[in-house]
Amino acid sequence: MASITLSGLTKTFGTFTAVKSLDLHIADKEFLALLGPSGCGKSTTMNIIAGMEQPSAGTVRFDDRDMLNVPMGRRGVGFVFQNYAIFTHMSVYDNIAYGLRMRGLPKAEIDARVRQVAELLGLTPFLKQKSAGLSVNILQRLAIGRSAAVNPQIFLLDEPLSNVDAAFRAVMRTELKHLQREFGQTMIYVTHDQLEAMTMADRIAVMDRGVLQQVGSPIEVYNNPVNTFVARFLGSPSMNLLPARLGTEDGRPVVEVTGLGRVAAPASARGSADVLFGIRPEDLTITATDLPGAFVMEVVFVERVGPRTIVHLARDGQELKAIEGNGFPVAIGDRLGVVAKPESVRLFDAATGQALDKEPADG
Amino acid sequence: MAEITFENVSKRFGDTVAVDDVSFRVADNEFFCIFGPPTSGKSTILRLLLGLETPDAGDILIDGKSVLGVSPAGRNVAMVFQNLALFPHMTTENNIRFPLVERGQPAETIAPRVAEVAEKLHITPLLKKMPAQLSGGERQRVAIARALVRDPVAYLMDDPISALDARLREETRVELKRIQRELGHTLIYVTHDQEEAMSVADRMAILEHGAIRQIDTPEAIYDRPASRYVARLVGSPPINLIPGVVRTGRFETDDGALRIDLDRGGFAHDGPVDLGVRPEDVRISPPDADGAAAARVYEVEPLGGFTIVDVEMSGQILRAMLRGQPPIRANEPVGLSIAPSSIHLFARDSGATLFADTRG
Repeated sequence: MASITLSGLTKTFGTFTAVKSLDLHIADKEFLALLGPSGCGKSTTMNIIAGMEQPSAGTVRFDDRDMLNVPMGRRGVGFVFQNYAIFTHMSVYDNIAYGLRMRGLPKAEIDARVRQVAELLGLTPFLKQKSAGLSVNILQRLAIGRSAAVNPQIFLLDEPLSNVDAAFRAVMRTELKHLQREFGQTMIYVTHDQLEAMTMADRIAVMDRGVLQQVGSPIEVYNNPVNTFVARFLGSPSMNLLPARLGTEDGRPVVEVTGLGRVAAPASARGSADVLFGIRPEDLTITATDLPGAFVMEVVFVERVGPRTIVHLARDGQELKAIEGNGFPVAIGDRLGVVAKPESVRLFDAATGQALDKEPADG
Repeated sequence: MAEITFENVSKRFGDTVAVDDVSFRVADNEFFCIFGPPTSGKSTILRLLLGLETPDAGDILIDGKSVLGVSPAGRNVAMVFQNLALFPHMTTENNIRFPLVERGQPAETIAPRVAEVAEKLHITPLLKKMPAQLSGGERQRVAIARALVRDPVAYLMDDPISALDARLREETRVELKRIQRELGHTLIYVTHDQEEAMSVADRMAILEHGAIRQIDTPEAIYDRPASRYVARLVGSPPINLIPGVVRTGRFETDDGALRIDLDRGGFAHDGPVDLGVRPEDVRISPPDADGAAAARVYEVEPLGGFTIVDVEMSGQILRAMLRGQPPIRANEPVGLSIAPSSIHLFARDSGATLFADTRG
């Protein structure tokens, strides 16, 4: 059992607040991604959990035990960093075995464990090789294997895939997630890459400037962002956000999107206000220009990137991106209609950026 | 304004063949992308064109004239610095002036030239500003203005935006393409990011070990790759490759779990192959669906607008890319099928495509 509870966690460096009263509970065996841009406080949070840094205020508990006075080496935490620390003069086998030998485990047990970890990470063919000279991809797997070998209850990873190539990253995403499920560890994964967070995590905690913005399953956070920061940070291309005015027509809420037209607002929207009209690119449908309610726009750019066609649309300074499939028949200069799925429209307060029908995240 | 031609160009460094008998022609005003993995020879090709390296064999021509005897300065090909970097302590105007001042051009010719280039890139109002006061898009325009101020015949970019984060890269590549369209200059662009290459290029050259494997439009390369190597380099997640055998017009995996009739007239190849299928062409159905192979969900990767489903079939993991957020869970049994019109076939040994015609 290893759940993690952060309460009122704060870290200041001089006048700079890196983490501000963070409350977060990570369940036993959960895969949590700490997601945000550089400088958002995610690595500092992880370093405090690992015991490499002391918080300025607040507590860290593993299950019911307060960890503040427990040194790093006694916390039972494994970690892997962006810049893997591998003993390059040792073989792959000896690197994986290192932590087990330090614990004085019997030789047969060490051997069995090394072989199991190597097999899971596809390192078996390299066991006898010296680590020096291995590719970055293999070294990163080795770094993960070395930490995983001692079977820590809590596994912390800080941007472990940012140095490896794209094809290998796709494979490792699947493998890391599978590995975590197999070993049943509690895993915290720090990343600035929304795609890694979305695809691997049970829950995502989004941070910005030291403050936790939202916690939820990837789909919850993607579908119902609490503010425009989260809305923009997840998704690729990110959510379209256009200035608009919320009002009523015949007793129903409607949004007048500046320069484009009027569409039905989500039923929960009330009153009148300046808002940002949010719609994900995949929730826009390209239609004929004469369809009632369609925004009439001009195609200003088309990106054909394999399975997806990203259509860039503009009118009177307003821009939208829509996603269609491979081979979608569209060209720069086309005039066409764009329809937003009503259930996918999200509204944000124009001044604060907060979602209109959402309370701030409570962790 | 320039057409650039490489004719059978080779370059060795000691025992390493960096560029291997490379031929291509970049048309005037074309956005030409050179794409390949690290150390496949991309940057060496740029250095050969700039005149920083001399080929061991072959010829390099600009507008039909060999430039092998011409100094780097005499070739008038401009390089845009990595990360589109600007001098932070100089105004926009002084950044753009810099290459001309450095070449000792008379002051009275510099001012009108800077004004002309600034006008062309729509940055005249920014000339007195410092780089720190500019947006990312504005900074790029300034960096390009600085490259173009000496009126090069072509300009080159070597992985110019690789250091930016993912979100900024997506915006920047669109901006680069728009600028190139407006300017109508020949641009040779090196990148290791397949999506970036497909997004910006009019045509792209795919490199392997210094040799060109295919040159075509991004759409053609994606839809009709000439080889297994090219097929794997473009597309994310990468194309699925399923080993099997073709016998009398039918593909079959070794264990018989997957069979596909190749309803293509005149297709006559028997023997071991790798069947290629893009993740968006893999169909997932209920396990008992007609004609579907039995499979099991290994992991589900939600992307919001899309969902990648990793499916295990006959001990192999295949990736399917589905639209939206389907309610599929790990370990669930599913059916897997592949439309014959969406497949690629590659010879097992050579990796060459077995479809001489077009796909689909």
